[in-house]
Amino acid sequence: MAVTEGDEKTMLRLEKISVTRDGNDGAQLLLLDDISFSAQSGKITAVIGPSGGGKSTLIRLINRLAEPGSGSVLIEGRDIAGIDPLQLRRMVALVPQKPFMFEGSVLDNLQRSFLYRKEAPPGAGSEEVRHALTLARFDHAMVQRDARSLSLGEQQRVSLARALITRPRVLLLDEPTSALDRRTADSLAATFQEICRSQGLTVILVTHDLRLAARVADYCLYLEAGRILEQGSVEDLLGHPKCAELRRFLAEPSAKGE
Amino acid sequence: MNDGTLVNLELLDLSLAYGLVLLAIALARLSRIGQEGQMLWASVRMVLQLFAVGYLLHFLFAVRSPLLVVAVLLVMGAFALQVMGARIKRRMPHFYRVVGTALFIGCGGVTFLFCALVVNYSPWYDPRYLIPLAGMIIGNSMNGASLAAERLAAEMRERRDEIETALCLGASGRQASEAAVRNAFRAALMPTVNTMAAMGIVSLPGMMTGQILSGTEPIIAVRYQIAIMCAITGAVAITAYLILLQGYRHYFSKAHQLEGN
Repeated sequence: MAVTEGDEKTMLRLEKISVTRDGNDGAQLLLLDDISFSAQSGKITAVIGPSGGGKSTLIRLINRLAEPGSGSVLIEGRDIAGIDPLQLRRMVALVPQKPFMFEGSVLDNLQRSFLYRKEAPPGAGSEEVRHALTLARFDHAMVQRDARSLSLGEQQRVSLARALITRPRVLLLDEPTSALDRRTADSLAATFQEICRSQGLTVILVTHDLRLAARVADYCLYLEAGRILEQGSVEDLLGHPKCAELRRFLAEPSAKGE
Repeated sequence: MNDGTLVNLELLDLSLAYGLVLLAIALARLSRIGQEGQMLWASVRMVLQLFAVGYLLHFLFAVRSPLLVVAVLLVMGAFALQVMGARIKRRMPHFYRVVGTALFIGCGGVTFLFCALVVNYSPWYDPRYLIPLAGMIIGNSMNGASLAAERLAAEMRERRDEIETALCLGASGRQASEAAVRNAFRAALMPTVNTMAAMGIVSLPGMMTGQILSGTEPIIAVRYQIAIMCAITGAVAITAYLILLQGYRHYFSKAHQLEGN
């Protein structure tokens, strides 16, 4: 796959991000250490690596669910520290690992973000609801169903539609398929790819599942112990790993999604 | 009948009553439950503590100093706060500041309004009214306050996923914790509402029985009981509401981030 295609532009940039946390013994734990990378619109950037390596910490900085100790996150060149977090989270949507369904129907769940902003929520037949459900490939006929009665795979699609309904520019996916069986996971992965291409979204996909990364990602970062040890195209990283840590990680059965 | 004056209990009468405690201890010993020591100690503590408080009240009633009465009320409030802090399992952030302020405003405000407007005695600091009324209000608010604080801490922990999902969808900290706050408020009010509903049928309230025993006309005692129950309900609600109003904020940063990850 060609790395440069037409007027591809940098949507998201992380610069020298570090995050520390106070350990139990009073020592400072370094969760992320000098992280810098860029992500393009219309592309999926996968962040892979062993659990506890800082992947989820990283993704939570991008919609300001957490604050970095030092460094900055830029969206279209603008530091997000200067953007109202409630505004930012409409622009940068996050789909968590476990879909949480609020009480009520699928429609109630889709209307949440409008109610938080005290805007009139779109109805079941509205363009917004149809658009979001179509993108997430969720059957519109089920829009009045009780959200908590849906299967886990269906709930993850509702969670995706709920994130897309505000038409974000950046989509953050935190281990979005790890709770699903392989068939459901594969079909959801295809959906991610379609959305990214058709909407020109910048997608950051955190996963320990190499199969998923290989299937959908364009770029790839390998994160271990809070540091990016290798980054580049997904073919290079998974096909020709350079560092010993990544080679070891690739050889582990748990990294293959099994 | 003795014309509304109370039959005095002589020390001899008291020793006879204490014989019943000794009987209870003897029964405990007979059935070998191994509680005799504790029972004896508890009964001795009761006697000492009550006499101490009795003489303290006797002294306060004699001195009738407004400063002293207010100081006693503040000590009662501080003691309530300290008991709550020690007993509660999971303390919310800034527990003492949040709960202390709420207790002070809730109980202080209601006690003041109740004494000034409802009972309307004078002088306002008359310890015979102010101390028992404030004591009942503080004691009940303390229970409501611990329930509110404890339940909020539990809800904020159990609902982590829900709260973070809401934040991701653009909710403010207040919106994201709405359900948690609502449940905590409900939990805080429940015992008081239950007590009101059961009053007079399941239990004869202590204050009313006390007044009747000391010669008050039952209808007057009932009026007092109704009034104090209303004051207690108000104080519990205000205290719990203030705790929750301030309490949830301390779980979020200024940028609407759930703290404690």
